[in-house]
Amino acid sequence: MKYGYFPGCSLLSSAVEYDRSARGVLGAVGVELEEIDDWVCCGATAAHATSPLLSAALPAISCAAAEKQGLDVLTCCAACYSRLKQTNQEVKDDPELQKQISEIIEEPYQGNVRVLHITEVLAREISPEAIKAAVKKPLKGLKVACYYGCLMARMPEALCVDKAEYPVLVDDLIRAVGAEPLDWPYKTECCGAALTLARQKTVIRLSGEIVQIAKQNGADVLAVSCPLCQANLDMYQSEAEKLLGEQLSVPVLYFTQLMALAMGLPAAELCLDKVIVDPMPLLSEKGFISGGVYL
Amino acid sequence: MRWELADKALRSDFRRRVEELSGQNLGDCYQCGKCTGGCPVLADIELSPNRIIRMIQLGLEEDVLTNESVWCCTACGTCNGRCPMGINIVHILDTVRLLSQQSKYRPGALEVLTFYQAFLNCIRHFGRLNEIGLMGSYNINSGRLLTNMVKAPWFFMKGKISLSPHKIRRIERLERVFARIEEIEGK
Repeated sequence: MKYGYFPGCSLLSSAVEYDRSARGVLGAVGVELEEIDDWVCCGATAAHATSPLLSAALPAISCAAAEKQGLDVLTCCAACYSRLKQTNQEVKDDPELQKQISEIIEEPYQGNVRVLHITEVLAREISPEAIKAAVKKPLKGLKVACYYGCLMARMPEALCVDKAEYPVLVDDLIRAVGAEPLDWPYKTECCGAALTLARQKTVIRLSGEIVQIAKQNGADVLAVSCPLCQANLDMYQSEAEKLLGEQLSVPVLYFTQLMALAMGLPAAELCLDKVIVDPMPLLSEKGFISGGVYL
Repeated sequence: MRWELADKALRSDFRRRVEELSGQNLGDCYQCGKCTGGCPVLADIELSPNRIIRMIQLGLEEDVLTNESVWCCTACGTCNGRCPMGINIVHILDTVRLLSQQSKYRPGALEVLTFYQAFLNCIRHFGRLNEIGLMGSYNINSGRLLTNMVKAPWFFMKGKISLSPHKIRRIERLERVFARIEEIEGK
């Protein structure tokens, strides 16, 4: 199986651990990736909050390239996924927009690519058996709060691949590698997203509350699938602790890191040292790693 | 809070412009307030989503376009998901933000707009975002020089901030795309 890979900007820098673990996990279950030629940033919130046309043109450039390569698009970042998928649909449905966008990006583009998120590919296109077969040491006894955030779940209804208010795709994947996904109420609460520099107080309050509720529900670790959620939930825990007056220290890992751990992939693909709240003490206590050396 | 419903407001075409640009029918809103009930930033804003819609219905252009609340939206989409009439409220707020940049009024939360502009400038120059360039540009332009500087060294050490920005090949085409859109949207 081969997909056109759209890494997105975060996965080249602040979310490099998502990129490496995702490539590792996809490789382990036989998915082949070909990077979309000369892809461009999706524009994220900055584009659609300030310019509706730019918010369609930027994703269209990358989708048009994928259309040319004849590949379905696979992306890991929730924001890229949301922008690419919605733009693709809007262009497909609206001939006038199609004409305008094609003209602006100087490229024919029909809106005919399929845009898939990595969770969708792993949970729907790959058989659960293939994942189970790749697991070398199940994460028995690890309680995981799967956190989806906004962009994964809250697409226009027709584009939604999971339940909007209570998504389950990541839970299924976490269960497939032997860990225990928790039933908890903050799966799709907002972390504060792009306000992270301009409105820090809002972000600390929202992110802190999500980590707090996860902890109250017995989570050992939070599993995320969006680079911005990871950054907000992980980076601001010390500030949130001050605000809430209680200790949090819940590691925030990408779900692909947990899958890679269960599949026994090498440390370079796990990148467990690249998050702020150190997961090592927890993971060695549970017996998944020993003294910083991967078993 | 009270707003003066002047004759001018009632006769303004503000509502029509928002409806046209966003493709949403504001008459669909019957003020049930479900959007506001789910809004994550409600504690930090003056105008709740349903209030903003009511004000647009009433033509209160200046009050809406200059209020900082419209810039505190994280675009999480909870309001969209819960609106019983299927109104795309995020789209309405996107439209309000666009109008606020085009208008003669001063946008209500300049630091948020500054952040978005720094983000888009970075993409215009490189085709992809590089976080160090974004933070630098935002901190200088907003005058908040120390924002997140405490965390920056950690990101460097972990190899999570790349010092050499990735640049796409067809950067001239991208420049033409940006310029053309600026021309169309009249900014």
